[in-house]
Amino acid sequence: MKKAFIYTFIAAALATAGCEPDLDIENPNQLTVEAYWQNASDALAGVNAVYSTLHRGSISRWMPFYYIIRSDEGISTSGDGNIINNIDKFLVTDYNYGNAYGIWNDNYIGINRANQVIAYVPDITMDETLKQQYIAEAKFLRGLYYYHLATLWGNVPLVVNVSVVGDVPASATQAEVFAQIEKDLTEAAAALPTSYGSTDLGRATKGAAYALLAKAYMQQHKYTEALTPLQWLVTGEGASIYNLMPNYRDNFLITTENNQESVFEWQFAENPTETTDDDIATANQNYGTSIAQFFAPSGIGWSDGEANRWAVHQFYDETTTGERDPRLEASFLFDSTDVRGPAYSMIYGKTFESRYGTDNSRVWFRKFQNDHWKNEEGYRSPNNWRYIRYADVLLMYAECLNETGSTAQAYQYVDRVRQRAGLATLTATMPNLSADAFLEQLKHERLTELSGEGHRWNDLIRWGDAGPQLADRDPAFANFVVGKHELLPIPQTDIDLNPNLAQNPNW
Amino acid sequence: MKALKEALTELEAKYQVSIMYNSDVIADKVVTDKKVKGKASKANAFESELDILLKTNGLKYDKVSDKLYVITAVSSKEAFAPSIKSERNTFESNQENIKHEAEPAMAVTITGTVTSSKGETLPGVTVLVKGTSSGMTTDPNGNYTINVPDGQENGTLVFSFIGYTTQEVPINNRTTVNVTLGDDVKALEEVVVIGYQTVRKSDVTGAVSIVSAENADRVTASSVAESIQGLAPGVTVRNSGVPGQGAAIEIRGVASFNDTNPLYVIDGMIAEANVTINNNDIASIQILKDASAAAIYGSRAANGVIIITTKQGKEGPAKVSFSAKTGVQTISNRWDVMNSTEFAAMQRTMYTNSGATPPSSVAEGTFNPNINTNWQDEVLQTGSLQDYNLAVSGGTATTSYLISASYFKNEGYVKSNSFDRGSLRINTRSQKGRVTFGENLLLSHSVIKAPTDGNPIIDMAVMLPVIPVQDPSYITTTNPQGWGIGTTNAITYAYNPVAVRELSASTTNYGKLVGNAFADVKLFEWLNYRFNAGAEVSYDFDKNVRELGVWQYNASPYPSSVNEERSTFLSLLFEHTLNFNKQFGDHLINGVVGISSQQTSRETTIGGRTNLTTSGDNYFTTIGSATGEATSDGGTPTDYRTFGYLGRVNYSFKDRYLVTLTGRIDKDSRFGANYRTGYFPSIAASWRISQENFFHVNAISDLKINASYGKLGIIPTSLGSWPYTSYINNNPRVVFGADQGIYVGAYQATLANPDLRWEERTQQNLGLDASFFQNKLSFEFNIYNSLSKDVLLNLPVPGYLGNLGGNPYVNSASIRNKGLEVAATYRSQGSDLQWDISGNITTIKNTVENVGNQGQDVNYISSGNTRSQVGNPVGAWYLLKTDGLFQNQAEIDSYTNADGVIIQPDAQPGDVKYIDQNGDGVIDTRDRVIAGSPWPSLQAGMQFNASYKRISLNVQLTGVFGNKIYNSVRYTLDAYQNTNFRSDINPWTPTNIGTDDPRIGLLAGDQGIAANNYDYSDRWLESGSYVRLRNLEIGYNLPQNLLDRAQIRNTRIYISGQNLFTITKYTGLDPDVTGANIQERGLDNGHWPASRVISIGIQGEF
Repeated sequence: MKKAFIYTFIAAALATAGCEPDLDIENPNQLTVEAYWQNASDALAGVNAVYSTLHRGSISRWMPFYYIIRSDEGISTSGDGNIINNIDKFLVTDYNYGNAYGIWNDNYIGINRANQVIAYVPDITMDETLKQQYIAEAKFLRGLYYYHLATLWGNVPLVVNVSVVGDVPASATQAEVFAQIEKDLTEAAAALPTSYGSTDLGRATKGAAYALLAKAYMQQHKYTEALTPLQWLVTGEGASIYNLMPNYRDNFLITTENNQESVFEWQFAENPTETTDDDIATANQNYGTSIAQFFAPSGIGWSDGEANRWAVHQFYDETTTGERDPRLEASFLFDSTDVRGPAYSMIYGKTFESRYGTDNSRVWFRKFQNDHWKNEEGYRSPNNWRYIRYADVLLMYAECLNETGSTAQAYQYVDRVRQRAGLATLTATMPNLSADAFLEQLKHERLTELSGEGHRWNDLIRWGDAGPQLADRDPAFANFVVGKHELLPIPQTDIDLNPNLAQNPNW
Repeated sequence: MKALKEALTELEAKYQVSIMYNSDVIADKVVTDKKVKGKASKANAFESELDILLKTNGLKYDKVSDKLYVITAVSSKEAFAPSIKSERNTFESNQENIKHEAEPAMAVTITGTVTSSKGETLPGVTVLVKGTSSGMTTDPNGNYTINVPDGQENGTLVFSFIGYTTQEVPINNRTTVNVTLGDDVKALEEVVVIGYQTVRKSDVTGAVSIVSAENADRVTASSVAESIQGLAPGVTVRNSGVPGQGAAIEIRGVASFNDTNPLYVIDGMIAEANVTINNNDIASIQILKDASAAAIYGSRAANGVIIITTKQGKEGPAKVSFSAKTGVQTISNRWDVMNSTEFAAMQRTMYTNSGATPPSSVAEGTFNPNINTNWQDEVLQTGSLQDYNLAVSGGTATTSYLISASYFKNEGYVKSNSFDRGSLRINTRSQKGRVTFGENLLLSHSVIKAPTDGNPIIDMAVMLPVIPVQDPSYITTTNPQGWGIGTTNAITYAYNPVAVRELSASTTNYGKLVGNAFADVKLFEWLNYRFNAGAEVSYDFDKNVRELGVWQYNASPYPSSVNEERSTFLSLLFEHTLNFNKQFGDHLINGVVGISSQQTSRETTIGGRTNLTTSGDNYFTTIGSATGEATSDGGTPTDYRTFGYLGRVNYSFKDRYLVTLTGRIDKDSRFGANYRTGYFPSIAASWRISQENFFHVNAISDLKINASYGKLGIIPTSLGSWPYTSYINNNPRVVFGADQGIYVGAYQATLANPDLRWEERTQQNLGLDASFFQNKLSFEFNIYNSLSKDVLLNLPVPGYLGNLGGNPYVNSASIRNKGLEVAATYRSQGSDLQWDISGNITTIKNTVENVGNQGQDVNYISSGNTRSQVGNPVGAWYLLKTDGLFQNQAEIDSYTNADGVIIQPDAQPGDVKYIDQNGDGVIDTRDRVIAGSPWPSLQAGMQFNASYKRISLNVQLTGVFGNKIYNSVRYTLDAYQNTNFRSDINPWTPTNIGTDDPRIGLLAGDQGIAANNYDYSDRWLESGSYVRLRNLEIGYNLPQNLLDRAQIRNTRIYISGQNLFTITKYTGLDPDVTGANIQERGLDNGHWPASRVISIGIQGEF
């Protein structure tokens, strides 16, 4: 009896115990990849993720340093010597320098996101027009990210399919990268709408694709090819969509974003509760940009990047009414942001004099800043980056016309830009310039119109002007080695992991 | 059937032995003839017969000598989970004479009291007159009265009690003989919990360290790990002075890049023994170190297993024990930095050296000596520690209980940092027939308070003395209280640590239940079934409040806000085990088989809102009262299950040859179906040479050699619950539209590796246990060699893949740990003076053997300034080598490479000279070399306990030797830029050339200064060797006559000092650093130094 009890007990215990629990536990937080890419809303979220890349920390903060501070208009006197050396002074101490690697990585993150849309969306059953638009947006953005890579590193691996661990592509040449950019942007332009409704402002348009395509051509000196997309913008359909804002400064205020002059604009908004720049870590992320805090004057922000004083002196042309070029005040914070001097120049609510005295020649870029609506900066600037303005397009068109033998036709587009600033036209003041002289004048026009907006580096490279001779205005260029410093060194980490990658020349 | 008494008498005659008993105990007990003829289960035939007679009657015997046995009732304790000294205090005592067959004529009556070395009176001690059969046991107060037979007035009394050394005391014509019994030096009967089973310590074949709970309890510690520093060989503990922060612990080195935490088993529940567990409840701590010992825990055991057994009630009337301790806590060391006048002078020199104008904060004429902030004074305070415990315990033969309540509070030595914990423990046992039920239950509530940001240990060093704590001149809309954060004329990037404390507060609450319940069924004499259900439930609540204001120069303004995170953690363990124990002649087999299933999950909800409502200076800190932007988040970050089959067989032959086979098969939901199952076998064998017939060395009481080999696993917690699957990440957000609408983005962000599995560690251990001179001196020696394979690495993927969310985990590294562990204890027992000394020594040689494919020609993993490189230890320092200072321009010009290139052309006299390791004529990161190991070559611990009459002394020393620490705070100070200076800097000048401190100047535009400040140089690397007086305690046992009136007993008061002094050359605050992570274990990045604690306490019972 007792034994029977015992054996029954053991049997019962083992029977209940022996049941192996179910070890396939579903993740309740996230969808699997296999379960995704099923419908139009999946496709839309996929495309949105590609745009989201634009407010990641490295691309929205450090990339402008490479296009602005590294050029002759910018300088760094940061407390962090690595910024000075690696970004400003052409003293690259580390081929894996974190801020450079972050830009490299962020652009490829955008490409990875675009590649997923381009790979998966075609198989989704949904509205065909919308589908083509989404794919075209992804191609535009892939073209944009490769444009950054092509102009910063040049010879980079081309990844156009969904990333796979162990993928070891060889380096593509800069020309091959540009060819991919041209292909993506041409296809994008064909399918993108010319404009969007109010809630979708900020998405890529046909005009944005054409403008970027023209930039890609121009960097390769393909001025003739660049004419076609620019004509769509300037003399074609785009002429009825875009125009210059009457007031130059409206291009840099948070109250006049996505205006008629905006061809492609990076959208930022303030999230006061955010905890990170990493847009995959949590939804509560920073979808503003921290560039304002890093460019802000000493005592307001980090002041890690500022302007060289010589740039101020380029604004010598007076307006037709005898006043100072209004673009100077819109472009820089310095002792004479107000023409009356340091006692009147307001730096974030206090006079320049009270902050820095009367004998301080530092100049800070103003266009990304928020001093027009508050007296401090932060890491969450909502001020959009006007990535391509119509004024830029007009000057690009003028440059292409000039380079292709149509200097006379080019005048009118420069004149439009000058007139908006209140200056006399070039036609009136400098008629009949030779192509070379016109280009020289155009360089001045681009500087005064576009300073601190991120175009200067590519302009210098395109014009072949980057070289030690610039050391007069920016001492950092004393270290510039022609044939080397036009491009950044390919990150050593990636070369180590993929022996098929080649280092850039002379690095 | 016959009376037990009758059967005992027969046995006495048959085997020529004496059996003593209390007549009450055996009254009415009977035996059957059949049972007397039962099968022999002991080597000694008499003992096995006695065993059989007694067991069915709920009795047991104690063997006093070969010819003398004492019968006692089995305590309830023994029927349950054993503890180390389970038989202590179990004697059901009374004041009657123990009756014996022949009672000779009595001549003298002797009385006395028997106490333990800790001053407790000992009931139930057997007192015998040597050479006679006259005997007694002590009463509940430890008193005895014995009649000494005629002619024995100068004889000898023998005092014996299980768990204590037997003591012979000459009578010398005295009528009062008081005796103090010492702990049994190495009770071979001591039992050890080795996981699902207890075995005699002498039968353990693997490497197991037993930490004395008494020694661990001497230090005031908030966690188990912290309390065992220096107490066990092979166990490395590093402490932090942050209240409520546990210690870092490593057992036998580090075998993983991701996780060094051992597995904790608390009374059979697998749950982490962090600061939420009350140390005072712990009865014993056992550390399973080698593969044989730990294999029963399979896939989770590779970092070692710490088994914690909590205190249980003992048979007897209710006993109330109490302890109270209170102390003051101070920082053990401060930075020696300048006051504002010294600072201003040095900064003026610095600016002048660089040809710059000193800023107005320090310039002659504008410097204001009235601003002289001593940031250390502003932040530091005298902290306090309080620890109160009250326990009630008791029991009968079939039930026992222990209820304890405790409160622990620590106000740290930095303002606004505190920890407190209240806990309640209920442990009970009850037996009904074949079934024993019981539970161990801890309820605790812990609160950690701290500011949300910054490290005051760094800030108080580098913050400028010329910045006021608070001043109206700083008031702005974003800094309404005017916190001193620096200006363009006094730039610092340090946080104002006072402002951080005033403006922010983080409060973390843990409401926790940890425990288990079990039913144990005695199926047969040799077979027990046990069902064990364990649970760990934690309700965690974290609240962060930030008031309006800023604490850093140039800082971005931040709105006032409140954020709350609530999470529920649940871990359930179910285990079924069968324990068997059978003897066949000289062969003894015991062991366990079973299954174990555990599921663990956590759910979190996060919410918050900006713009707190204020009323005057008061903030409302509820989410509902705030008016700004709301945030919410939440999810199930953890949800996994582990299922395992386990088994162990111990076989011994004549106590001489012992073999243990252990195995576990584990399945874990955290891996894909193909990689879910793992096998973890181990084998161990021992040979007890001292039991061999040929072994006749009187000095050696025990000698045993052990060897083991086996395989273990580890699953780093950082893997999460679904590491192998590809998921869509829907966190990306994008802004569109005139109204700046926020839209959701989604895609696969993180590359996944479907082939993940746990890390595996194979380990060999060779050990020797010996004891000498009747166990007065004991000695343990172990050497081990373990190889971790398939170690998980975040294998770097190239940036062009656009991966985010961490590099994918790959099982591809190997790490070897080899080492030697020695522990020795010597005990001296006298009647008044007793002392013991024990020491341990550990060496660890840690070598990276493989790091997977890190890229072409890359055989290392970098983390900060360390490299874990093949052939070197994990996290070796990888730095430039310095070679003093350039004393003049000629030295700079002549410092060239083979091609005549001047290596440091930017240097000026007084700058640091670096070694151009690759000879390329340039100093850069390519000139770094392995510059030192963060691993000690030797670690040691020493404990000394002594008692003389009522006074007792405890001394604990720890020592660490041969490691290198990177002093990151000193790097910041000695870079000279935007920081206060060390008081004793002596910068190089053309007229001051005998110094180690380079020239002082501004960094901007000075490549020489920039080079001096390379953080990747060995200028900041220092020896981490130290010897520390971990604890010094002096105690006094209050005389019983004082206590009688208060009806309390065994009361002891003491005063103790913790971390009173440290001998070290390290220039930071404390060489006992925990580091930044596993690979940067030797980084002092503002480590909170160990605190100095002076405390007084009382403990006693009634």
